[in-house]
This record gives sequence, C-alpha cells and structure tokens, in this order.
Amino acid sequence: MTVLLLLAAGGFGAGIFGSLLGLGGGILIVPLLTFGFGLPFREAVGVSLVCVIMTSSAAAGVYLERHLANLRLGMLLEVFTASGALVGGLVAFLLPERVLAGLFAILLACTGFTMARRGAAAARNGAGPVEPVEGSADDPEVSGAFRAALGGPGYRPARLGVGIGGSVFAGLVSALLGVGGGIVKVPLMHVVMGVPLKVATATSNLMIGVTGAASAIVYLLRGGIDPLVVGPTAAGVFAGAMVGSRVAQRIDLRLLRLLFVAVMGLTAIQMALRALG
Amino acid sequence: MTAPATVGAGSRAARAARMDRRIARVLRVGTLVSVGLLAIGVAMMAVTGRSPLDGTWPALDPARIPADLLALRPEGFLWLGLLTTLSTPLLRVVAAVVGFLGAGERRMAGLGTAVLIVIALAVIVARRTAT
Repeated sequence: MTVLLLLAAGGFGAGIFGSLLGLGGGILIVPLLTFGFGLPFREAVGVSLVCVIMTSSAAAGVYLERHLANLRLGMLLEVFTASGALVGGLVAFLLPERVLAGLFAILLACTGFTMARRGAAAARNGAGPVEPVEGSADDPEVSGAFRAALGGPGYRPARLGVGIGGSVFAGLVSALLGVGGGIVKVPLMHVVMGVPLKVATATSNLMIGVTGAASAIVYLLRGGIDPLVVGPTAAGVFAGAMVGSRVAQRIDLRLLRLLFVAVMGLTAIQMALRALG
Repeated sequence: MTAPATVGAGSRAARAARMDRRIARVLRVGTLVSVGLLAIGVAMMAVTGRSPLDGTWPALDPARIPADLLALRPEGFLWLGLLTTLSTPLLRVVAAVVGFLGAGERRMAGLGTAVLIVIALAVIVARRTAT
C-alpha cells in the first residue's frame, strides 16, 4: 500500500513539474523509477513511455482544438519518428543498461543546459535563444504545393530532408530513453525548418503519442512493461500534469527552473556514475 | 476572379478545423477512458493489498482480460487501460486518414497509412523477436 502511494505521489510530482517546466514527464520518471524504486533501467523506460503517451494524448487534444498543432506536418514527420522508435525499441534490448544510463546522463545534461539557457533568455526580456531560418527557404526536391500544404498561416516548413533525418533520430532517442523527444523535435522544427515555436511545441507533442506507441509496443510484447507499476505512476503523472497546467500561470518559474537545473545536474552525475559502474 | 479561390481556401480551412476538432475528441475520450481504467485498477490494487514492486507481474494475455474484468481483478483493468493508452494515438491516425480520404487528400491519407504500417511492423517484429 505504501509503495503504491509512493509511486502515485512520485508520478504526481513528475507530472506537475514536467507540466510547469514544459517538459515531458519521461526525463523525470525514468530517474524516479530507477533511483527511487530500484527498477531496472529498461523497465523504467517502458513505464515512462506509457506515461508520456498518456500526457501527450491529453495535451495534443487541447492543442488541436486550439488549432496550434500542425496535423499535416506532424503526420509526415511521425512516419519517421515512429520508424526511428521501432529501431530504437529493438536496439534498447541489445544494449547493456550501463550504455543506456550513460546516454540518459547526456540527455539530462543537455536538457539542463537548454533549460538554463532558456532561463537566461527569458531574463533578457523573453528573447528566444535562437533565430529560426526563413520558413520559405527553397527546398528544390519537394514540390511547392506539397510544402505549402504542410505549412500554416505565415510559414512554410523548410529543409524537409533535414527534418526527416532529425525525426528518425528523435524517435531513436525516445525509444532508447523513454522520453517524448521534444528536446530534439522542437529545435528541429523551429530552428531548422522555420516553424513558429508554439506550433513546433504543439506539433512535437502531437507526435509523441505515435512515436511512443511504436516503441512501447516493442517493450510490451517483449515483456518490458509492468502494468502494476504503470497504473499508479501513470495515474499520478496525469493528475500532476492536470494540476500543473492549471497553476502554471500563478507560479514564478524562475526559482523553480534554477532548482530544477541543479536537480537535473545531480541526477546526470548519478546516471553517469551508474554508467561507469 | 479571386472570390472562388478565397471561398475554396475558406472551406478548406473550415474542413481542417472540423477534422482537428474530431481528432481532439478521439484523443480526449481515449485519454479519459484509459485514465479511468488505470485508476480503477489502482484502487483495486489498494483494496486487495497488491504491491506493485513484488518482482513479478501478470503476463499480457488479451483473451484473459474479460474474465479478469468480470472477476474485478486489478490486472484486467490495468492491462485494458494500458492497451487503451497505446491505442489512442493510433485511433487518432485512423481518424485523420478517414478525414483526409473524405477530403480527397490522398497524399496525406497515404502518410497516415504509412504510420499505421510502421506500427503494424513494430507488432510483427516485436512478436518475432520476443523470447
């Protein structure tokens, strides 16, 4: 009973912090389950994938209703994120857990660094840290009509070839580490393809469901997902994400972000130590 | 001369908005059903005193789920909730394919079908490589 409540509470915490800081829960759930509850890394990834699919579905519904997510662009790219996730799901069972832990440590460090930069940029009057490329840049291999159909008000996605390659990589990362992959997809769409940041964020979120499902199916059918852990964790994450989205406007995120960067740094060190044995 | 094009663009935007709303509904209902099933499963775990970290867990056997549900066993609700969670994004793709076909956008419908083929491939490969 105590473990059940602790798992639900941990999931709730991951959901609320993830929602407040604009992260998928995966980057929090995997360390929570491995360090907090002693789950093997691969099992934690399987559980985390189910949680991120659930929160993505809930958020994507809202984004679509507000017409923020670009369904067409998302469907093009998710063919490739799902392909990457399928390969990643298979590779995850071939790699030693120490290698996966090492990769996760790198992901944590990258996320912490990105968050610290975002915080610094926000302090400079909300200026974005990077400028996107011109959205209508020429892309001769793709027909103009098709690219126009993938665009939205005021933009047409550029560099589809790079976007497709990056999507395969995002799928791989998601499947290996149990995260949504927004850390790859959002900069890819915004900076490389010239998609507005809000649309890139919403579209990335929409794509998480299908990407996560492709690899979660591999984990599930290979016996890597424990429903008894998924239940309390996913229910907690969902409840936390709902609360987080409601209180986000009333909370000063600067201190929270700083605290979080520090926690992420410490967790990255712990993961790196685990990777080194 | 521009009026028909404007009307065409307007009707296309309205159609896209309708499709977004329909797909949003699929996602919302799927999420609520899966959360509901998982929550019932968790409540049953609490009632029966089942610990989530005892090292073993029930194998996935879809044929057993109805019997587990009728017997109010937690694993039935948890497996069904988990499967619903995984199916929800796929139902979203199916809804999009149907919408694109209805709108005559065959290229987009083809992309959606490609997504479903990748998922089917994941099922086949995972089953073949499962130990």
